[in-house]
Order: sequence, then structure tokens, then C-alpha cells
Amino acid sequence: MIDIHKQRYKTFIVIFVLFFLLFLYRVASLQLFNNEYEQKAINNALNKITLYPARSVIYDRNHKIIAKNLVMYDLFIFPREIEPKNRDFLCEVLEIDTAKYNDLLLESWIKSKKRQKNNAYNHSALFYSNLTERQYTVIRENLYRLKGFYIEPRTDRSYEIVGGAHAFGYLGEASEDLLKNDPYYQPGDLVGITGIEKYYEPYMRGRKGIRTVWQDRTYRERGVVNDDSFNYPAIAGPDFISSMDLELQQYAEKLLSGKRGSIVAIEPGSGEVLAFVNKPDYNPNDLIGQGRNKEFRKMLIDPKKPLYNRAVKGVYPPGSTVKTVLALIGLQEEVIVPESRKGCGGGYRMGSITVGCHPHGGPLDLEGSIQISCNSYYCALFREIIDNPKYANVQQGYEQLAKHWRSFGLGEPTGIDLLGESGGNIPSVEQLNRRHGPKWRSSMVISLGIGQGEILLTPLQLANVAAILANRGYYYTPHIVKSINGIRDVEWQKKFKTKHYTSIDRIHYETVVAGMSKVMQPGGTAFAASVNDIEICGKTGTAQNPHGKDHSLFIAFAPKENPKIAIAVIVENGGFGATYAAPIATLMIEKYLKHPQTSSKTAMEKRILETVLEF
Amino acid sequence: MDSVAIILFSILVFIGFINVYSVTSDVNQTGFQLSAIATRQLIWIAGSALIILTIAFANVVLVEYLSYYVYGFIILLNILVLFIGKEVAGAKSWFGFGGFGIQPSEFAKIATSMALAKFLGGYGMKFKGWKNISISLALFLIPMVIVLFQNDTGSALVYLSFFLVLYREGLPGYILVISIWIGILSIISIYLNSLNISFGYLYGILLGISSILVYFGRKNRQFVILVLSISIGSSLFSGVVGLAYNKVFKVYQKDRIEIVLGLKEDKRGMGYNLEQSKIAIGAGRIEGRGFMKGSQTKMGFVPEQHTDFIFCTIGEEWGFLGVTFFFGMYLMLLLRLIFLAERQSDVYGRILGYSAASILFFHWFVNIGMTIGLVPVIGIPLPFVSFGGSSLWGFTFLLFVFLRYDQVRKS
Repeated sequence: MIDIHKQRYKTFIVIFVLFFLLFLYRVASLQLFNNEYEQKAINNALNKITLYPARSVIYDRNHKIIAKNLVMYDLFIFPREIEPKNRDFLCEVLEIDTAKYNDLLLESWIKSKKRQKNNAYNHSALFYSNLTERQYTVIRENLYRLKGFYIEPRTDRSYEIVGGAHAFGYLGEASEDLLKNDPYYQPGDLVGITGIEKYYEPYMRGRKGIRTVWQDRTYRERGVVNDDSFNYPAIAGPDFISSMDLELQQYAEKLLSGKRGSIVAIEPGSGEVLAFVNKPDYNPNDLIGQGRNKEFRKMLIDPKKPLYNRAVKGVYPPGSTVKTVLALIGLQEEVIVPESRKGCGGGYRMGSITVGCHPHGGPLDLEGSIQISCNSYYCALFREIIDNPKYANVQQGYEQLAKHWRSFGLGEPTGIDLLGESGGNIPSVEQLNRRHGPKWRSSMVISLGIGQGEILLTPLQLANVAAILANRGYYYTPHIVKSINGIRDVEWQKKFKTKHYTSIDRIHYETVVAGMSKVMQPGGTAFAASVNDIEICGKTGTAQNPHGKDHSLFIAFAPKENPKIAIAVIVENGGFGATYAAPIATLMIEKYLKHPQTSSKTAMEKRILETVLEF
Repeated sequence: MDSVAIILFSILVFIGFINVYSVTSDVNQTGFQLSAIATRQLIWIAGSALIILTIAFANVVLVEYLSYYVYGFIILLNILVLFIGKEVAGAKSWFGFGGFGIQPSEFAKIATSMALAKFLGGYGMKFKGWKNISISLALFLIPMVIVLFQNDTGSALVYLSFFLVLYREGLPGYILVISIWIGILSIISIYLNSLNISFGYLYGILLGISSILVYFGRKNRQFVILVLSISIGSSLFSGVVGLAYNKVFKVYQKDRIEIVLGLKEDKRGMGYNLEQSKIAIGAGRIEGRGFMKGSQTKMGFVPEQHTDFIFCTIGEEWGFLGVTFFFGMYLMLLLRLIFLAERQSDVYGRILGYSAASILFFHWFVNIGMTIGLVPVIGIPLPFVSFGGSSLWGFTFLLFVFLRYDQVRKS
């Protein structure tokens, strides 16, 4: 038989080979000329489940737990998986209406979309955070029929001891800004917003862990990925030992309650903050869990400003408390000696200007001037310092004074481990030039000599001045955290363990300290507030303020030798320093040094505790 | 039997098995452990070994003699399955036996090629004349229509590969050319239709080209008539396709066609499968992600990953090197079949050989083309590789009946 089509086999060979080459080229274009598919495949099949670490536990200086962690539960969803039939049930359990439910759903859709990098809808998103005990129980029991929903545990704060809210700070959900700038955070993460929670956030938060699981198209977990680079455990934040003494702190809060003001107590030998009180304040347990956002909004608009951290943000004229510093500067500048006496006729007169003084016996030496807080003495001293013929003009004289002041940490933030601290104000020459014209004379700024006018200090700075006086000439930057377990932070060490010396020689301090000691003795301005058996050194202050009644101020340290505590108290609109600030300070000193059940000065303690200042 | 073909066949079956084993194994599995599906595939492979043994001792003359009876019997089974079969994925083409199922359409291909070979190999038969051509066409168009009724479009389309066989036997080449022209016209028509572009442009272009051709060839009357009839025929055809496209095809079929033509961007619905399939293959890069490590196919992102989309696993786990090797083996088998078919002394054997080669090529073309996005998603298996007993046994029959015939004629 003749096969006339014999040659047609070649057509087959050509077609076969051609298509094999065409297809091979196509495969090559997918596998070799395109590098996006590999990552897409990995994103598809791996679900990275975040493991939340416990936040650092905060202890007080006596190792009592202050802030610990509370497990809370969040409801997560796979947006594509959920079924409409479960809507009503969830609305009922979560106590939300349908509209709210739809809003939450939309939000999680968006969050879920942000997480995925291709079209596989296998990423989950937060749906509802902070389930209540009851919600958690009901949902967990019904989880089998709530397709697409699952519960993840997380931790929130819980406060064992209520106190020091402004020092420790509170947590809140990570802001949009933070989410944008720091890839570590995911929506819904809790971060420190204020206090040491914020300052030490990178340590406090610990480190999130990741558990990577294989996940199939239907979001079912298909086992953990056996690769250590995909799995690591969450690491809890290190334990924080705070320098605060919570017994003292709580006592201080009680003493100041019903008033407005601040108390800061520091251990002079280390710069460790022992108590840090602002009133009004808030209960830190209100800013946790489900009520957080609602309570926070309420506090924000509260006219009492419970969130306001006066101790580091509030600035006050220090009044007579800084006469101690001026005395030191006078001695250092050699315009006076301890024995120098200055007369006072019930006030300091310069032509038409008179700075009033209260009646007291005739010419006082330096110790006496501190003891009874003579205004005339310090007006005269102030003028002698800045009009010192050693300097060409009053501006240069003043600049020298300001330099001394600044060496006490005044006019700039102390550097405490809190953010948003104010530096107060030590007026510069320029500022005075602007205010009084370039040709001002010492008499025009005389009020600075008695701690009034443009000079402004934060309560923390004032407490630091007390610590400097206690140390006779140096201070450590105040800090609220004493140590972080297992962390060696050289920068931190350097910042808080370095002595800062003032520009005043140590020898001059003894005179001023002797004067401060006399303040608490018969004839002294705060004698009434003195406490038996404790040698307290103090200085009262009564600061005029344009907005109302004078502020009551007091700085002190005790004991006189080897001081253990330095303290500053400000009671806004409290009148004389001796009225409220001094008793509060001495009661606290007694508490700290002797730990009595009730004060030896029962009546004074009772009066302070019961006083409510109207404002 | 031809050892080259047997070795190539064994390699392909082995490739199939390890990929089915891999894709159905547990995620973090270490060590050898057969999944239920891999176990079944092993049983199917053992079955096909039995089939090969049986064929090796079969009387091929008897097989040739029985061709029409086998054809008739299989056609009957395929009709029967329409009534008592069970439905799997929309196609009513399965006989169920407990947990197993048999798909008679997989065996209809071999039966059809036997019948066609018998008919055209008949004494003094010439592939000419109205009657002979009609019978030849009917022999494979009948099972094709039946399979269409089983709602198994993919398997039905496979019967088009018999046109290739007929081409070898003398079907005029212009018919193939016309078929291709029809294909091109159809695609153009679908484009115009979907994009709502007037068919006037197409008509205008056809008119322009034919006018120029007619002008230059105006002396040759036959040429003028040919050009004009092609032009008018094409215009009519595309118009009809445009209208029919909307009426005949179901929405999901239109979707598939339009996604492949790039008319529709739908990465979630129909296109999702194609996208995932491309991700799987693309993820393999040069060397592949490694045996048992193809997460894309293992985690079920690719649909039907152990049956119709098994090639994705090859691509993902073995990479471009693995694909090249696999393609090479497959192409060598096809060329070997052409070689063997050409050395047959009779038409029967040659047609068996060409049928096997054409059907295997068509399956490969549609199956691979669908996974890499060159052909609409049509569910047909990859011969010797996809999981499934019916297809493996059907292709084993197809291949080894011819190899046995080749062996007997040679000796």
C-alpha cells in the first residue's frame, strides 16, 4: 500500500516541539523572570500569630508589687469567614447594636487588608478588645458555632497598690502615629502613654514572640512551622524596682487630698524619688480594661485636671524657700559673711518702693535671717550680689547670679525619668532687658531676691534644691526607677549615678543648714510643725500669685546629719508656708524615718487630713 | 515491547506518584508515610502494572478483531452512566463502587482509537469520499457528544485530537488551516463582543484586505471567488459567533474564557484559582522549594492540587529544572510514539500510535496550558501523573495496546 502522506509525520514533530518550547518559555517567565511569586506563596501559607509578652512588673523600693499584669481577652476574626447568622448573638453578648457591629466589622476588614500582601484572605484582625469576664465565658462556650472568630489572650495592667499614678503613668492603645513610625506595634497594642511606663517603654513592653503556623486556604491551622527562625517565644519585660516608697507615697496622698498641689520627696544620697504626689490625681485602676477610653475622655475634660502632672509641669514662684540659695550665693560671692547683720524696719525701702516684712527683732545675722525669713535681708543681699563692684555693670552681676542658680539645676529640666518635664524659669539678662529696658537697675528686679517675679520652679526642682542642701552641695539627677533587673544600660547608669556639684563651696552650706535647723526651733517660722526627736532642717515659703491666695511652700530635709529624705511641698492657695506645707513635710519626714502608726503630733496630723481647701 | 517507551512511561508514573505523595502528605511529616490518597494511587499503579502484564500476553490479533465490539461496549457504558452514574463536580460520568469510582469516558478514547484504526485500516480502505470521511468523523464525534452530555466538557474536547490523527491519514491540510482560522476569528469575535467594539471594524479590515487582493489578482477568476468567499464567510462566521457567544455559553464558562483572554481581571473568583496556580509554579524558581515543601500546593491554595493541578506541585517543588526534565520526558515519549507509529507496516497500528500520541499531546496541552494561564480552566487530567485510577488505567491501555501491537508486528 502506498502511503502518500508519509511526510506528514514531520508536521507532528514540528507542532509538538514548538508547543513544548512555547510552554517551557511560559514556565520560565513565571519562575525565572518574575520574583514576586515566591513571597506570595509564603505569605499565603504562613500565619504569624503574635505572642504577647507580659509587661514589666513594677515594685516599690521595699519590693512590694505596685503594678502587675492582668490577662485579658480579645476577640479576633477572619473577616471573610464570618457568617451573618451569628450577628444577633454577638450583638447581644457584646451589648452593641447592629450598626456598631457593622462598623467593627468594617474596621477589621480594613485592618485585615492592611496585613495581607496578596489576594489570599487568610489574615486575621482584631474585632473587639477587652472582653469582660462574662463575655469571654459566653463567647468561648459558643466559639464552635462562631465561624471565623477566635479569642486571643493579652495582658493589661492591674495595680496592687493605688498610688503614684503620675509617676508610674498609664497605658493606652498605640496611636496612628506610633503605628506608622514603629513597625513593632500593631493596632490595639497597649503602650505606655505617660510616666515611667512611657519613659521605659522599650524595656517595659518586653518582646513579642511569634508562633508561625501553616495555614490552609480555609484558615485551618495545619501545624507549627518547624523552623526556629519562624518561632520565638514572647519575652516578658524585666522587673522594675522603683525608688518610690509606697507607704510614704500613700500617706502623702492622704495628707494632700482635698488640696491642690504637689509633694516630691527625694533620697538625697542617691537622687531616688521616694514620693511623687500631685493633687488632684486619678485612680490608675480607672485607666485599665474596658473602661479605659471612656474614663480617659472624662478625665481629659475634667476641670480639676486629674491628669495634670504638676510636680514636673507646674511652675511656681518659689518664694522664700530660695532665700537659702541666695544666702549661699552671697557667701560664695563674698558680699557677706555669716556674721553680717542687716537691719529691718518692717520692710525694705527704696524710694517709693517698699518690700514688706513681718515684725521681728533687730538686726539679724545670716542664720537668723533664714530662721525668721527676713525680706529686707534678702533684698539687700540681692542688690549687693548683682551690684557687686567686681562686675562692670548690673547685667554682668546678674549673669553671675543666674549662673549660680543654674548650677542648682534651676531653669532647665532636671532630667528625671519622665517625659514632658518643664525647666521652670531663671530669667536671662535678655529677658530682663526686654521687660525693663536695657537700662534696668537692681531695684527694679528686687522681687527676684525673695523668690518672686520671673523666677519659676517646678516642685521637683524645689525638692532637688532641698536635696542639694541636704548633701551640702551636690545632687544626683532625680529618678523614679531604682534598677531594672537584668538590664545593664550604660547610658542610664551615667545619667542617674553621676554627682552634679553646685558652684558653691561646701563650707558655706553649714551656715545655711544651721539657719534651716533654726527654722524648726522656737522663734523659727516652722517651729509649730517640728517633730520631737528628729532634727529637721526646713525653709518656709509663701508665694504671691496673681490668681488668688498665696501658695504655701516648704522645703526640708532630715536628719540634719546624714540626711535620709529631702522634700518639697506646695499647697496651692494654702497661704503661709507654715500653715499647710510645713506640717505636711514634717509629718512625712516622721513617717519615713520612724514609721509610726499615727503621728506624734496627733492634732496637727488630724488638722491636715481634715482640711479641704475650696477651689 | 519497546523498552524506551516503557522507561519513559515508568518515569512519568514515578513523577506522578512522588508529587501526589508530597502534596497529600502531612505538613510537618518526616519519614515515609503514605496518605490515604497516595495509598490509593499506589493501588492504581499496581493495577496498571497488572494491565500491562495482561496486555503483554494478550492476543493482539484478537484485540484488533474485537475493536468494534469494544467500541460498542464502551459507548453503551458511557450512555448508561448518564442514567445510573453519580455526579462528581457537576459531571455525571462516574460509576461508583463503594469508595472507588470508574469513569467510562477515560476508556472511550482507547476504544474510539481502536474503532477508527479498524475502520481506516480495513482492506482497500481509502480516506476519501463523502461516506468514508463521514463515518470516520462519526466514530469519534459520537462519543464526544455523549461525553458532552455527561457534562464533562474537558474530556469531550479531547476527541478533537482525532483530527490530528485524520490529518496524518490524509485529511486535507486546508481543513486544519481553516480550523485554525476559525479559532482565530472566534477569539477576535469574543474580544469585540466583550469589549463592546463594533464588528464594523473587523468587516472593514476584511473588506480592505480582500479588495487589495482582488485588485492584484483580478485576472484569475478562481482566486477572486476564493478571496471573496473567505472574506464573506469570515464576516458571517464572526457575526454568528458574536451572537452565539452570549446565548450558548454559561456565565462561568464565559468567565473562564474571558479571564484567559485577559478581558477580565478577577483575582478572587475564577481567576483566583489561576492566580494561585501561577503563584505555586512561580514560587518554584530554578531549583524548586524542595520535595514536600511546596506550601502553596500542600495548603490547598491551588484547587484540585493532586488531580488536574498536579503540575503546580512539580513546578513549586522541583522548579524550572524539574519542569524541564518533566517536559523533556513527556516530549520524548510523544516523539517515540511517532517514531514507533511510522514504522508500522499496517494502518491499524499506525492509527493506534498516532491516536495515543495525539491524545497524550492534547491532554498535556490543555492541562499544562490551564495551569500556566494559556488555556481556559478545563478539568482534564495530566496523563500518568494526575491522581486517579480511571485516567491512569485508560492511558495505560492506550499506550500499551499500541506497544503490544508494535511488538507483535515486529516479530
